[in-house]
Amino acid sequence: MNKLYLGGIIFTALMLVFTYISVGGSKGGLNGDIVNMLAVAGAVALVIITVFVVVKYVRQMQTDTAEGELADESWDNIGEYKNPVPMGWAIMFLGTMIWGMWYFIAGYPVNAYSQIGEYNEDTAAHNAKFEAQYASITGDKLVAMGESVFLAECKVCHGLAADGIDGKAANLNVRLEANTVKYVIENGSNNMLLGTEMPMPDRNGLFNANTGELITDAEIDTVSQYVANGMQGEGAEIFAGVCASCHGMDGKGMEYVAPNIATFDTALVTNVLNHGKKGVIGAMPAFDRLNAKQKEAVSAYITSLSAQ
Amino acid sequence: MFHWLEKNPFFFAVGVFVVIAFAGLIEIVPNFAQASRPVIGTAPYSTLELAGRHVYIKNSCNACHSQLIRPFKSETDRYGHYSLSGEYAYDRPFLWGSKRTGPDLHRVGNYRTTDWHENHMKDPAAVVPGSIMPAYKWMFTNKADINTAYAEQLTVAQYFSVPYNKPVPMKDGSTKTVKMGASVAEANALALEQAKEIAADMKDQDVKDAVAAGEIPEIVALIAYMNSLK
Amino acid sequence: MENRPLEYDYTVAKMFMLTTVLLGFVGMLIGVILAFELAFPSINTVLGEGLAEYTNFSRLRPLHTDAVIFGFTLSGIFATWYYVGQRVLKVSMAESGFLMFIGKLHFWLYLVGVVAVVVSLFMGITTSKEYAEFEWPIDIAIVVVWVLFGISMFGLIGMRREKSLYISVWYYIATFLGIAMLYLFNNMEVPTMLAASPAGETGFGAWYHSVSMYAGTNDALVQWWYGHNAVAFGFTVPIVAMIYYFLPKESGQAIYSYKLSLLSFWGLMFVYLWAGGHHLLYSTVPDWMQTMGSIFSVVLILPSWGSAINMLLTMKGEWQQVAASPLIKFMVLGSTFYMFSTLEGPIQAIKSVNAIAHFTDWIVGHVHDGVLGWVGFMIMAALYHMAPRVFKREIYSKKLMASQFWMQTLGVVLYFTSMWIAGITQGMMWRAHDEFGNLAYSFIDTVTVLHPYYTIRGVGGLLYLIGFVMFAYNIYKTMTAGRKVEESELQNASPMGA
Ligand code: HEC
Ligand code: HEC
Ligand code: HEC
Ligand code: HEM
Ligand code: HEM
Ligand SMILES: [Ca+2]
Ligand SMILES: [Ca+2]
Ligand SMILES: [Cu+2]
Repeated sequence: MNKLYLGGIIFTALMLVFTYISVGGSKGGLNGDIVNMLAVAGAVALVIITVFVVVKYVRQMQTDTAEGELADESWDNIGEYKNPVPMGWAIMFLGTMIWGMWYFIAGYPVNAYSQIGEYNEDTAAHNAKFEAQYASITGDKLVAMGESVFLAECKVCHGLAADGIDGKAANLNVRLEANTVKYVIENGSNNMLLGTEMPMPDRNGLFNANTGELITDAEIDTVSQYVANGMQGEGAEIFAGVCASCHGMDGKGMEYVAPNIATFDTALVTNVLNHGKKGVIGAMPAFDRLNAKQKEAVSAYITSLSAQ
Repeated sequence: MFHWLEKNPFFFAVGVFVVIAFAGLIEIVPNFAQASRPVIGTAPYSTLELAGRHVYIKNSCNACHSQLIRPFKSETDRYGHYSLSGEYAYDRPFLWGSKRTGPDLHRVGNYRTTDWHENHMKDPAAVVPGSIMPAYKWMFTNKADINTAYAEQLTVAQYFSVPYNKPVPMKDGSTKTVKMGASVAEANALALEQAKEIAADMKDQDVKDAVAAGEIPEIVALIAYMNSLK
Repeated sequence: MENRPLEYDYTVAKMFMLTTVLLGFVGMLIGVILAFELAFPSINTVLGEGLAEYTNFSRLRPLHTDAVIFGFTLSGIFATWYYVGQRVLKVSMAESGFLMFIGKLHFWLYLVGVVAVVVSLFMGITTSKEYAEFEWPIDIAIVVVWVLFGISMFGLIGMRREKSLYISVWYYIATFLGIAMLYLFNNMEVPTMLAASPAGETGFGAWYHSVSMYAGTNDALVQWWYGHNAVAFGFTVPIVAMIYYFLPKESGQAIYSYKLSLLSFWGLMFVYLWAGGHHLLYSTVPDWMQTMGSIFSVVLILPSWGSAINMLLTMKGEWQQVAASPLIKFMVLGSTFYMFSTLEGPIQAIKSVNAIAHFTDWIVGHVHDGVLGWVGFMIMAALYHMAPRVFKREIYSKKLMASQFWMQTLGVVLYFTSMWIAGITQGMMWRAHDEFGNLAYSFIDTVTVLHPYYTIRGVGGLLYLIGFVMFAYNIYKTMTAGRKVEESELQNASPMGA
C-alpha cells in the first residue's frame, strides 16, 4: 500500500478517536438525539471524504504524467488540454441532481413536510415521556428536579448559590430579608402572591392592636428584624398586634388572606412564578412557560434551601 | 456555442447575468406579500423603543445575539414560543443574527426585567459569572437619538403604511394604539414619558437624574426596546 | 503576433497590491483581537474604559469582516485583475490613457470609500446587515467604485488582442455582474432625511440614516440571498479566477481540461444563487424555500469541486514542483481547503446538521477554512507571483515564504479544529435535556465551556497573522532589496532568493 493512503487511514483513525473522545467527553453528548448523531456523522464524513479524494489526486501528482491534446489557444502561454471531464465527477454531478429532484418531489415532498408539524410531534413525544415518568415524583427526587430547573432558569438572577448576588435579586436561602419586610410594611404589596389581586396595605393601613395606633418607625424596624430572623427574637408582640390578624400568629399565612412569610411553600413560589413580583430589590419576571411539575419542583427546591 | 460566447464578451456577460438572476426571483418573490403581514399582537415600535433599537444596531448586539427562536423543543423551553413570520412585520432591518455567542433575545422581554438589564449592561460578569459579554458602561451617559427615531417612524408610516396612531389588534381581542408625535417636540415628549417609567425601575442615580432633567440616556432606550421583545 | 513581449503597465495593480497587504494586516489584526476578546473579555478595556466603546467585540466585529472582505479580498481581486487582465487579453493599460485614468480614479475613490467605511463603523453607523453594513452615502460610493471597475474591465476586454476570453476572465466578469446585482438589491433603503413631520419640520435626525425597503422575513430573504452570494462572488468566483491563472502560470502546466472548466463555470453560476436558503433553515421562511436551499447546496459540491479538481489535475506528474516551491504549495493547499469548505458547507446545509451547526462556532470554523485556507492563501500566492514581475526583482526569501507557509497552515488547522469542537459541543449542549426532561444547561454553561477552544483559536489566528506579517515583509523586501531580474527569468516559476 502506498504511504499516502496509509497516512490517510491513520489520519482518519485518529480523527475518529478524537471525535469519540471529544463527543463522549463533551457535556452535551450524543444524548440519543438523532440530530446530534447526524451532525457528528457529517463532520466525520467531511474529513474522510476530503482526505481520500485529495490523496487520490496527490497520488496522481506523484505518479501520473500530464498528457492530452492541447487546444489551439494559449493565453499568456497558458495552454489547455482537451481532456474529457473526469468520469467520477460527472457521475456524482448527475447523481446529486437526480437526488435533488427525488428529494424535492418524493423524499421530503414540498407540500407534505412541515417543520412546525415536526416540532409539534417532537414536543408531544417529549412531554408524554417525561410526564408519565415524573407524574408522582416526590421528596428528594423532586428537589433534585427543582434544582435542575433552578440552575437552567433562575441562577442568572439569583446566583448559583441562590443568594441573590449581592442584593441583585432575592436571597432565596432565607425566607425574607429585613429590608424587604420593611419596604413592604412601608409601601404595601400588590404582587398577586395569593394568586389573585389581594393587596397588603401600606403603613397607613397597619394598626397595632396593642397600642391602637398606626405602626411606628421603631416598630417597623423591630418587626422587620423579627420576621427576617425567622419569627424569632424581639418584636413578637408587635407582630401579634399588627400582622398576625392576616399572616397568622406563626406567620404561616392564611388561605385567601395573606401569604406565608415564615417559610417558602409551593403556593407562594408558584404564584411568584405565575405572576412575577416587584419589590424593593427589583422586578422578578413571570415564568409561566414552566409547566406545573417544574414549578412544583422548583418550589420544593427553594423551600429546601431555607428548611435547615 | 460556448466557444462563440467566449469570443463575444457582451453576450457572454448577458448569458451569465441571465443564469444568475432568475434564482433570486424564484427565491424571494413568491412569498413577499405573505411575509409582510403582521400577526395579531404585533404593534409598531414606540419612539423610545425604536431609539433603543438603534442603540442595539449601533453597537452590533446582533453580532452575538440572535432574534429567531427555531422550532425545537430545546429552544422553546429556553426562549419561549418559536418565532412567527408576522411578528417581524415592523422590523426594518430584520435582526435575526447568524451567531449566538450570547442567548437569543427575541422574547427576552418576557423573562428579564429593567433592573436586571441595568445591572447586566453595566457589568455582565457581575450578574452572570463567566459572562464574556462586554460591559456597555457608556450607554449610561451617551444620549439616545430620539430625533432620528422619530424621522424613521415618519418614514415608515409614510412609505410602508406602518400603523402609527391607529388601533392594532391584540391577542386578547383588545386594541393598542402606538402614538407618534405630530412634531419633533411632541415626539421627544412621548419618548420622555416612557423613559420616566423605565427610569423609575432603575437604580442608577445619574440616569434617574438625567431623565428627571428631560434627557434620555441610551441605556433607557435600550431597555425599553429589550422589554418590548416579547 | 509580435515577437517582442508587450510592456504591461502595472501601475494600478501595484496600488491595489499595497492596499491588499495593508488592509489584510489591519483586518486580520482585528480578527486576532476579536478572537482573544472572546477568550479573555477583559481585553475589551486594556486601552481604558474610555475607549471601550470603540474597542469592544461588537463594535470591532463588523470592522473585521468588512476590512477583510472589502479591504483585503477586494483589493486582491482588483490587484490581480489589473495584472491578469492585461496579460490574458494581451493588451497593455499603457495603450489607453482613458483606461489608465479610470484605473487610477478607481483606486483613489476606493481608498476614499475605505476611509469612510472605517470611520463610520467605528462611530457605530451601521445598518446591521452582515457584509452590507454601510449606510446609503457609502453605498453610493461603492456603486461608483464598482462602475469604474466595470469600465476598466470591459474597456480592457474591448481592446483585447486575444480573441477568445481566458477562463479567469469569465470569472472576473461574473464577479463584476454578481456583486453589482446583489449589492443593489440588498441595499434598497429609504433615507429618513426625507421625512417631514405633520408640523412641517424637516431635516431632523441623523442625515445618513435610512430604513430598509424590506421588513422582517423578506429582509432576511434578500439579505441572505445577498450574503450567501457575496461569498460566492467575493470569496469563490474571483479566487477561482486567480487560481486558474496563477497555478498554471507558476507551474508552467497546461490546464487539465477545458470541458471541466466549462461545466464547472456554468454549473457554479447556475447553482450558486439558489443555495442562499441554507442561511435561513428552521427560520420563518416557507419550508419549500429552505428545502430548495438545502438541495442546491448539496448539488453545489460538484461545480465547486470541478475547479479544484481541474487544478489538482493540472499538477499531475508535477509533485517535484509542489515539493520544491512554497508558492505552489500555497495554491495546492488552497484548492484543498477550497474542497474542504465546499464540502463542509453543503454538509452544514443539511437541515438536521444545520439544527446543530447554525448559530454556533462551527459556522465560524467553516468560514475561516474558506477564507484563511483558500482566499488568504490564494491572494498571497497571487501577490507572490506578481511581485517579481511588477517590481522586476526576485522574491526576497524563499525560506521565509516556506516558514510562513507552515506557520499559517498550522494556524488554519488550529482555527478550524477548535471551532469545530466548540461549535458541535455548544450545539449539543443547547439541545440537551436532563433526566427530568428539563434543559440540562443554562446558557452561560455553554459559554464558559468554550474558553479553551476560544484560546486555541486565538493562538491559531495569531500564527496566521504572524505569517501574514512575514508575507508583508517579504513583499516589502522584494520591492526594495530583491535581486534585479531579466524578463527571461520570469517565464514560469518565480525566481526566489534563498
Ligand atoms: C390586611 C392584612 C395584612 C396585614 C395586617 C399584614 N399583611 Fe403582610 N401581606 C398581606 C397580603 C395580602 C400580602 C400579599 C400581597 C401581595 O400579593 O403582594 C402580604 C405580603 C407580605 C409580605 C411580602 C411577602 C413576600 O414574599 O414578598 C411581607 C414581607 C409581609 N406581608 C409582612 C407583613 C408584616 C411584617 C406585617 C405586619 C407589620 C404584615 N405583613 C401585615 C396582608 C397583610
Ligand atoms: C430576571 C431576574 C430573575 C429571574 C430570571 C428569576 N428571578 Fe426570582 N426574583 C428576582 C428578583 C429581582 C426578585 C426580588 C423581587 C423583590 O422582592 O424585590 C425575585 C424574587 C423571587 C422570589 C420571591 C421571594 C420572596 O421573598 O417573595 C422567588 C420565590 C423567586 N424569585 C424564585 C425564582 C425562580 C424559581 C426562578 C426561576 C424559575 C427565578 N426566581 C428567576 C429576579 C429573578
Ligand atoms: C461578545 C459577545 C456579546 C455581545 C457583543 C453582546 N452580548 Fe449580550 N450576551 C453575551 C453572552 C455570552 C451572554 C450570556 C451571559 C450573560 O448573560 O451575560 C449575553 C447575555 C445577554 C442578555 C441576557 C439574555 C438572557 O436570556 O439571559 C441580554 C439581554 C443581552 N446579552 C443583551 C445584549 C445587548 C443589548 C448587547 C449590545 C449592546 C449585547 N448583549 C452584546 C454576549 C454578548
Ligand atoms: C458549496 C459551497 C458552500 C456551501 C453550500 C456553503 C454553505 C454554508 C452554510 C450552510 C453556512 C451556514 C449558514 C448558517 O447556518 O448560519 C455557511 C456560512 C458561511 N460560509 Fe459557506 N458554504 C460554501 C462555501 C463557502 C466558501 C468557499 C466560503 C468562503 C471562502 C464560505 C463562506 C461562508 C461564510 C462567510 C459564512 C457565514 C455567513 C454568516 O455570516 O452567517 N462558504 N455556508
Ligand atoms: C488572523 C486571522 C483571523 C482571525 C483570528 C479571525 C478571527 C475572527 C473572529 C474572532 C470572528 C468572529 C467570530 C464570532 O463572532 O464568533 C471572525 C469572523 C469573520 N471573519 Fe475572521 N479572522 C481572521 C481572518 C479572516 C480573514 C482573512 C477573512 C476573510 C478573508 C475573515 C473573514 C471573516 C468573516 C466573513 C467573519 C464572519 C463570520 C460569520 O459571521 O459567521 N477572517 N473572524
Ligand atoms: Ca454571521
Ligand atoms: Ca446599505
Ligand atoms: Cu451560504
